Amino acid sequence: MIDAIKLRILQRDSVIQDVSGASLPKLFRGLPVLEDKPCLDDCRKCAEVCPTGAIKLDPLEIDLGLCLFCPLCEEVCPEKIIHYTNNINLAVDKKEKLIITKETKSIAPEKASEKIRKYFGRSLKLRQISAGGCNGCELELNALSNVNFDMGRFGIEFVASPRHADGIVITGPITKNIANAVQICYDAVPNPKIIILFGACAISGGIFKDSEETNRKFLEQNKIDLFIPGSPPHPLTLINGLLDWLDKKG
Amino acid sequence: MNSLKVQNGEVFDRNEIEFLNRSDFQDSVLNLLSNKYRMIGLFPIDKKYPNKIVSILSDSVSSSLYIIGCEFPVNKLEFESFANQFPQTNYFECELAENFGYKPVNHPWLRPVRKQNIILGNQPYQFFNIDGDEVHEVAVGPIHAGVIEPGHFRFQCHGELAYHLEINLGYQHRGVEALMLNASPNQRIILSESIAGDTVAGHTYAHCSTVESLTNTQVNLRAQVIRTIAEELERIAMHVSGLGGIANDIGFALPASAYGRLRTLVINSLALLCGSRFGRGLFVYGGVRFDFNDENLEQIKNNLEIVKKDISVINDFLFSSTGALIRFENTGVVSKDFAEKIGLVGTAARSSGIELDTRIHFPYGAYRYFPVSPITLSTGDVFARARLRALEVDESLRFIFDQLENLPEGKIASDVNELKINSGVISVVEGWRGEIVHSAFTDDEGKIIQYKIKDPSFNNWYGLSLALRKTAISDFPLCNKSFDLSYAGHDL
Repeated sequence: MIDAIKLRILQRDSVIQDVSGASLPKLFRGLPVLEDKPCLDDCRKCAEVCPTGAIKLDPLEIDLGLCLFCPLCEEVCPEKIIHYTNNINLAVDKKEKLIITKETKSIAPEKASEKIRKYFGRSLKLRQISAGGCNGCELELNALSNVNFDMGRFGIEFVASPRHADGIVITGPITKNIANAVQICYDAVPNPKIIILFGACAISGGIFKDSEETNRKFLEQNKIDLFIPGSPPHPLTLINGLLDWLDKKG
Repeated sequence: MNSLKVQNGEVFDRNEIEFLNRSDFQDSVLNLLSNKYRMIGLFPIDKKYPNKIVSILSDSVSSSLYIIGCEFPVNKLEFESFANQFPQTNYFECELAENFGYKPVNHPWLRPVRKQNIILGNQPYQFFNIDGDEVHEVAVGPIHAGVIEPGHFRFQCHGELAYHLEINLGYQHRGVEALMLNASPNQRIILSESIAGDTVAGHTYAHCSTVESLTNTQVNLRAQVIRTIAEELERIAMHVSGLGGIANDIGFALPASAYGRLRTLVINSLALLCGSRFGRGLFVYGGVRFDFNDENLEQIKNNLEIVKKDISVINDFLFSSTGALIRFENTGVVSKDFAEKIGLVGTAARSSGIELDTRIHFPYGAYRYFPVSPITLSTGDVFARARLRALEVDESLRFIFDQLENLPEGKIASDVNELKINSGVISVVEGWRGEIVHSAFTDDEGKIIQYKIKDPSFNNWYGLSLALRKTAISDFPLCNKSFDLSYAGHDL
């Protein structure tokens, strides 16, 4: 008993109280911003090094759905135009909002419909489906339940059965082998239900977008409610995204 | 002997491999297997010529790898299975059959590895089942109860006891090996970071080593040390996370939550070094991208001091609890004999009394100059697999503190040359789960024509099956977590 109390004291209060103002390591790569200055003539370096083809030129744009938040483009840009900030607010409700231009200073989801906020605003239960995820995104989703992030305090939790869930969170590019199970799991969730795509692989296929082993039909057939970019996204990106979307920040 | 002997990470000319006829090949492989060598690869070195394969065997006593080639007649891809005598080769033969249409004759249990609806023998594959009064079957997955990767498990039970567990994977198959062949160098590194997202440092280390060997690139000592520090941080993070999972699976909330807090400190330390909590972006060909500075060095040391201090309290609390020990001891036992026969690697092997650690037996990078101590336990149960991970955390912390005190000077990245033509290399690395093998071969233009990856999970899933024999099915989650295997690493 004494040992248990000692251990509890060691735990202190580890929870991140201010989820929108949490400080992150200096090198952490969050929202990229593009400085408003011209690229060098004929310079294509960033687009050439990008492993997923997330960068378009003339005008310069980054698609966060494809972006793996690797340091390559920032590293090669001779004019230092591309710069990763520490901003972890990356969640959006529409795919178009994932395109970062020189005008973009921040991105955020539109508030969910009144119906969704009424149904899920106080309690949101999610069923996660790993559909070819490498376990990177899964680890970050698991971290949401630990003492530091403690997503449960906002009424948002992962549940075991799709029957108990209000929506699904997909990680991974959706392989051919899991595609059928994804559909069955989604069908088992009662209406109304939401779909969240967590990570670049789920949003765009990521580094696996050209693989012959994926089957992404499910995503074409269903409306996606929330996109969480990253590879893997930071746990706070999902928390903040959901709180903004459900309008729970007050 | 007709085999080519190489060291870990040593480049060889592809023409040095002698392609034997089938019967000489069988004899040579059997000879090495009889000498307790372990199979770590069985595949064609050029996908265009699937009839020319190599078998790679590893001898940890002499720290050597042996390559034996064989050229089969194009219309007769058949060989006598080694698996009846040496069960460790069973899964490698299944993989060869699945990918290239080989027929291992008299194979004891030919079954699909990653592909669904594939016919390997004469008829579609049926799950193994047992008959009898009151025998029942339990099917679980592919989607499991937690936030975890997919896989299908079939238990054959009598009452509470599981007599047989069949593990059917492949749901995570994304085609990593195929993508590797046409990828740009930048893409190749990202792909290796995504083989198993929990083993970023391990797999990327192995991949960078293959390319550095093939390009004859020397990596500076400082870069090597930073790489090993990243690898050990990953080991600590995943071991701590695994211990938390084990505590969680027996419903022991306090240590589970305490381990969770420490893991955050460890992965945030990796983020202080390279910006990613999993070490993504750290490895480049020729070295590393990020260096320590006074500021992050101090912060990382502070984090690890807390981990070092607190983890001993948590370990004591968990491992002195009678309730926990009752669940751990004699649960899911894999004997040393079985472990050797099925070729277990990594933490699972060391928990069953096998001394096998790539960092010690096939030393690479900074481990050549700064060794780690071998740790082996003998009981092969959940207790051993959990305790071993706790002990390895202590040793990894010791290693990291030693290195942080004496960081060598020098550049952190060297220039990389062109890939050597017609060459091959086998690179072995000890990820936190165990032995990772990456093999690469180039053609006469220096293009990579074969890239083969073996995650430790490829060997160890069979260990989990064996551990469940005559174990209560209710202990499955605990046994599963004690092995802590990768689905993505297996499925590729």
